[in-house]
Amino acid sequence: MQLPEAQLAALEAASATEEKTIAQLAAETDERPATLTGAAFDLADHGLLAITERDEETLALTEEGETYHDEGLPELRLYRAAREAGATDDPVGMGEVIGASGLDGRTVDIALSNFARKGYGRIDSGKLFAEPDVDPEGDRETAALAAVATGDASEIDASVLDRLVERGLVARSQATERAVTLTDDGITALMEGVEVADSVGRLTPEMLTSGEWRDVEFREYNVEADADRTNGGRVHVLRETAERVKDVLVGMGFEEMDGPHADAEFWINDALFMPQDHPARTHWDQFALAEPAEIDDLPDELVERVREAHLEGVGEDGEGYHSPWTEEVARGMDLRGHTTSLSMRYLSGEAVGELSPPERCFSVEKVYRNDTLDATHLLEFFQIEGWVMAEDLSVRDLMGTFTEFYERFGITDIEFKPHYNPYTEPSFELFGTHPVTGELIEIGNSGLFRDEVLRPLGVECDVMAWGLALERLAMLTIGAEDIRDLHGTLVDIDFLRNAEVTY
Amino acid sequence: MVVVDADFDELRRLTGHDEKGDEELKSDLFALGLEYEGETEDGEAQLEFAPDRLDRLSVEGIARSLRYQYGEDRGVYVPRTNAPDWRYEVADSVPAERPYVTGAVARGVDLDEGVLDSLIQLQEKLHATMGRDRVKGAIGIHDLVMLKGGTAGSADNAISYRGVGPEEDTFVPLDSDAELTPGDVLAEHPTGRDYAPIVAEYERLPAIYDDLGLFSFPPVINGRRTELTVDSTDLLIELTGTDQWTIDRMCAILCYALAARGARIEEVTVSYPDRELTRPDLSVGTKRVTHERVETVLGVDFDPETVIDLAERSGLDAEVTERDDDAGSGPGSDGEVDPNADGTGVREGTGVVYEVSIPPYRQDVLGPLDVIDDLGRAYGFNDLEPRYPDVSTVGGRHERSRLERALRNTLVGLGFEDLLNFHLIAETANYDRMGLSSPDAAEDLDAEDVGKADDVNADHCLGALAPARIREPYSEDYEIVRTWALPSLMTVLGNNTHRAYPQDLAEIGLAAGRDERENTGLVEFRTVGAVLARTDASYEAAKTRLTALCRAFGVEAATPPTDHPSFIDGRAAEVVLDGTSAGVIGEIHPEVLVEHDLEVPVAAFEFRLGALR
Repeated sequence: MQLPEAQLAALEAASATEEKTIAQLAAETDERPATLTGAAFDLADHGLLAITERDEETLALTEEGETYHDEGLPELRLYRAAREAGATDDPVGMGEVIGASGLDGRTVDIALSNFARKGYGRIDSGKLFAEPDVDPEGDRETAALAAVATGDASEIDASVLDRLVERGLVARSQATERAVTLTDDGITALMEGVEVADSVGRLTPEMLTSGEWRDVEFREYNVEADADRTNGGRVHVLRETAERVKDVLVGMGFEEMDGPHADAEFWINDALFMPQDHPARTHWDQFALAEPAEIDDLPDELVERVREAHLEGVGEDGEGYHSPWTEEVARGMDLRGHTTSLSMRYLSGEAVGELSPPERCFSVEKVYRNDTLDATHLLEFFQIEGWVMAEDLSVRDLMGTFTEFYERFGITDIEFKPHYNPYTEPSFELFGTHPVTGELIEIGNSGLFRDEVLRPLGVECDVMAWGLALERLAMLTIGAEDIRDLHGTLVDIDFLRNAEVTY
Repeated sequence: MVVVDADFDELRRLTGHDEKGDEELKSDLFALGLEYEGETEDGEAQLEFAPDRLDRLSVEGIARSLRYQYGEDRGVYVPRTNAPDWRYEVADSVPAERPYVTGAVARGVDLDEGVLDSLIQLQEKLHATMGRDRVKGAIGIHDLVMLKGGTAGSADNAISYRGVGPEEDTFVPLDSDAELTPGDVLAEHPTGRDYAPIVAEYERLPAIYDDLGLFSFPPVINGRRTELTVDSTDLLIELTGTDQWTIDRMCAILCYALAARGARIEEVTVSYPDRELTRPDLSVGTKRVTHERVETVLGVDFDPETVIDLAERSGLDAEVTERDDDAGSGPGSDGEVDPNADGTGVREGTGVVYEVSIPPYRQDVLGPLDVIDDLGRAYGFNDLEPRYPDVSTVGGRHERSRLERALRNTLVGLGFEDLLNFHLIAETANYDRMGLSSPDAAEDLDAEDVGKADDVNADHCLGALAPARIREPYSEDYEIVRTWALPSLMTVLGNNTHRAYPQDLAEIGLAAGRDERENTGLVEFRTVGAVLARTDASYEAAKTRLTALCRAFGVEAATPPTDHPSFIDGRAAEVVLDGTSAGVIGEIHPEVLVEHDLEVPVAAFEFRLGALR
């Protein structure tokens, strides 16, 4: 049999009849205790050694304990000083005794409280009286300190020891002591002869250059043992989902939009034909900015056309909203409540110049809603926004496009529930079946933009659009239950570290 | 979304379909877009729907829609009205802010508890929606028997809408026993206090009088004298508001609901100082819709008879007004042979224009698409076959989004965990807890403090930009848009001290700061923040990684020393990328660490994403 050197040393030092501690083995061999411990465990794994473990309590003086061991406990120093001052006969002023004892700072308080506790005397009206019958040499705590200092604590009364630990003079600590004995297999192995294995742990550059690697034996590892945990870097799981959405949309011919998060209400609401007195336009639903409060410039002609659409409607027998409309409200700055503000900027030509059909655009960007933060609602979330601009689009085209998109995420059998939005007609809420729970859930909102939206923007063809929350899609595809685990500073890093990769 | 309580038995009675079970009704209602949300304590169904069809805010209105769906009714129905007996006189003193009034008289109503509740619900829901919480329009319904007009020798009965001073007169309001002035009502009465803000700026308060005196204080509260009871049979309806069209539509919806309960609607004359109107306005509107548009939007070929049938099933009427035989076969046509085409090559319906009649309760029909939506619902949208549009476009990503993705991959390769934080943050977290001082509110800002946003270290350190502030934030955790990313990352570290170290985190995200030169007054930019939280975190460890990613992007990085309150003095440097100051790098100051409850050192850097371009 061949064994590594340390293991052989441990095996040879061990005895079948007498338990030997690691420390004893170390004394008998040239190996370090840590090496021997490892070797002993390896030998035990092979059944050659038996290991017994004992939890041992060790006691040691603390720094304060050392001081008192040298100088005497404060209460004893106080008692001796009191006796010398004659306080066994008549009470003596406290200041005088303390001065004579040489105590100061917190040791004074320690001395006084223990003085009374041990019955060394009384303190009354600032005077100190010492009991004459006390033998200062017989103090059990002093004796115990001395015993701990010499390492012989076996005789100390447990209650005295507890008291010293409580006083912070003695520290207890636990240590495991391991002892080994040879097993029968160990004896057999020794009798059959054990050689030092010429095995190596690590392949080194020197071995490679010298060719020594040809002559060595590589130590076997326990290849089934657990390895250290590492986390590495990862793309955020919600970003991963966003990337996947972007891939799908680019594949379907959509071009990505970009634009301001803080924008004028004009682009966020007015261009979308949201009446200015619409309940959703109060600050209860959207984040209005106090600073900056207003946009500098809006395109004058477009503002006029939008104003007209709100007041008069669009087309020969169009109808407006019968609500007041002022440019002042339109100039107000908000954090966008939807990325449809980007669509408005693109469709109007403001973002990248006039567009001509056909055109497909998308964005997967943050939007802001004044909502209550809970497991399914965030103040900020990502909205997937997409639209198709072409001549003569129908609701069937809309249904076909979204069916195609959601199928890429395993959501089939979409239902289109007729719905109402101020900016699209017809409008549909999209419902899909949860791939896991089988539940019917809302997965988006869609429709054909109204004439009242498109004509003021200068768009004469049809545009169909839809939007949905990325987080909702992510919860469907990655199974997150609390949206706050995903997004924001309340994130649990372990959740991100352990999230399953999506692709 | 709005919710209406409706009793299924009432629905069965009003539709004449006693045989319909609850489940069948629920599914019929879902088809109309009304979702069953549950039951009230009284066992009524709570039905939720989008706030377009406000005529469905009552059980009577829902029943009417069901009758069209069942084919019991077809086409436009307008209740008959009788000639006016009452006159609403509008005095010169009427508040300028609320000059409009309308109304109707309804006689012969059998008001049991259920009908009365439904009427009150309709009134409240109309207030909440079209009435914009009574600001734009408010409804008062009175027991006509308790009103007295026609004295002073006038030929007809009259009430008068006028403006009064807050202490000019008294009346006993609903839910009170005391004679109160309008001023008292606003100050003391619970309902008065609720609606006082609407009239807070009014010089004179709106008031309606009959011969016996003040009986209604719109939009706040009615008087007790004319309160409705189950014994009332004849009702006087008045609406005041800021827009005549709006209150006329609200009035029409009320009249339809009452007519469905057997009421005879009687007109009233509204006399403004300069003109006279007969109300309620139950005139039928019209919209012109082309056959071609119907087919394009729905993606289905129809013959005109079908379109007319769908319109009638929607409670509309459609009539062919024009037949332009040239349209559709001219040069604009794509020339494809249509399967539905007849022998002449011109499809039936081509060039047809419909005049569609819209009943007065439909305030939501603004243009042709609204009519087509109705036709689609009647046809059944879910019966349409989806098709992928035959439209070819080329897709692609925005340059900024490609750069972000590339950098994110590089950061991850360097071992950073990619984070995603909110853009909104507490002002103290963004500044104070990082050792920066909060900029003063905008009134104190001078040109020195804003407009330097593109040179991040010019006058002040990274992060010290003046922020975009939310107006009236609910939560002090989210009151400004962050000006840099490190505060978010430090907060995440502070929330995860129980998790295994090292924690190497990075984020590419939005930050923004005030900049007067921007049209929006705000410069928005993507910022790249990274923190190394580990026992051996050091300036060098941070710089190693910064240098690696700059090398990956072919950008020259220099790190001249700088001062920044978030970092340890002497261990902070400016990040200069290709000669432009773009950010900061260093070891986070112990004070900032302690502030975030951290017990490990943190090295960090942050710079503008744009600097890598």
